[in-house]
Amino acid sequence: MYYVAKVNADMCAEYKCNTCTLYCPEANTLMFDKVGNTSWVDEDRCKGCALCVYVCTDMLSRNCITMEMVHGKE
Amino acid sequence: MSLKYVTPVAMFKKYLPKDYVELVDFGPFGKTQDEAGPGNMGQFKELMEEHPMCSGCWMAYYIRLIFASLPCPEETVTLGTAGCGRLAISQAAVPFIYGNYGDQNAMASGLSRAFRLRFPDKHKDVITIAGDGGTMDIGFSMTMHSWIRGERFTTIMLDNEVYGNTGGQESGMSPKGAVLKMAPGGKQFDKMPATALAKAAGCVYIVKMSPTNIKKAAKIIRRAIFVAREVGPTFIHAYTSCNIEYSIPTEEVFADARAQEKDRFQFEEYMTDAAKEVIDRIEAEEKAAHRAKKGVVAEEVN
Ligand SMILES: Cc1ncc(C[n+]2csc(CCOP(=O)(O)OP(=O)(O)O)c2C)c(N)n1
Ligand code: SF4
Ligand code: SF4
Ligand code: SF4
Ligand SMILES: [Mg+2]
Repeated sequence: MYYVAKVNADMCAEYKCNTCTLYCPEANTLMFDKVGNTSWVDEDRCKGCALCVYVCTDMLSRNCITMEMVHGKE
Repeated sequence: MSLKYVTPVAMFKKYLPKDYVELVDFGPFGKTQDEAGPGNMGQFKELMEEHPMCSGCWMAYYIRLIFASLPCPEETVTLGTAGCGRLAISQAAVPFIYGNYGDQNAMASGLSRAFRLRFPDKHKDVITIAGDGGTMDIGFSMTMHSWIRGERFTTIMLDNEVYGNTGGQESGMSPKGAVLKMAPGGKQFDKMPATALAKAAGCVYIVKMSPTNIKKAAKIIRRAIFVAREVGPTFIHAYTSCNIEYSIPTEEVFADARAQEKDRFQFEEYMTDAAKEVIDRIEAEEKAAHRAKKGVVAEEVN
């Protein structure tokens, strides 16, 4: 049980943004899909720090990322 | 390494690990910064891999940025020492040399000289990336002597103002008054003046910064590498907080890095005339190449 970041793709696609992906401390984790114009999270690599939430919510006031609990498979 | 070395024979590709093939196909090898650089991180396969550094570590973030900013990753070697950073630096697809504690600048002196003899026709970029303890305390003499001798490579100090990897002891770079392990009553001495020492020892390009502006931070990493190729020792002193030992909630790590820009890590950039010449020349070339490429794209569109 741990937190990972989830991007609301519909909300994110409204902006031509890619900002949060530039500030994640993990490489190859918070990715940007140029076709769908949205960022997305590789959940297996996300460490749940919520730095991306700070970027999207506190800095840009776009509120597209939430931290959500994932449960490991039994 | 070289570009030829990292490119697999086509028929072997299907037997190679997926991560490696992705790196060859979608990684930054042989590409320009416009194609695969800091500005489009998240859209190509980065050199840095999964690593065991803590959640939200700003040092891990800055290391990610260093690898994305390399002018020529296939011709680069990094050197480091014990400390948190090596946990990620050693996981990147760039050769990494790890010696005894604090000897990274001594090894880099020999290595950069050997490269110049062995490959007189090309630039092999040598970069030491170590913590404040590794650079300014335990490795201090080797750091200083490499600078005093004018060794041509780049030194990057990941300053989290503590010995992070061993559980939070005071370092020479901790600020006065900081309450840390081995300093329960608060550190009694001032933070070491690293950039002033670098200047006195003969570094030709020196920057102190808190990496919050990705474009600026990347430009400085590249400047330090370009100048070291031709002129002399270069030094970047970067704030890379330790959220564990300084109890910074991870979601506030970026805000803390911004606050430090106005505090202990106010931006400083020093360059000699010779360093400035190199920077001006290379940045003018890059701009011209960028403009030429834009022109080609515009023509194709029309
Ligand atoms: C000769 C020697 N002495 C001590 C150690 C233990 N040691 C490992 S990392 C470290 C300090 C790390 O501090 P710093 O260089 O600031 O790196 P950080 O972990 O903070 O990034 C020490 C003392 C060692 N590995 N080798
Ligand atoms: S910062 Fe927010 S709006 Fe921008 S790419 Fe990330 S999720 Fe989308
Ligand atoms: S929570 Fe942290 S690790 Fe996960 S995607 Fe966001 S910034 Fe990256
Ligand atoms: S101990 Fe501190 S510097 Fe080391 S990985 Fe954790 S947060 Fe980063
Ligand atoms: Mg340290």
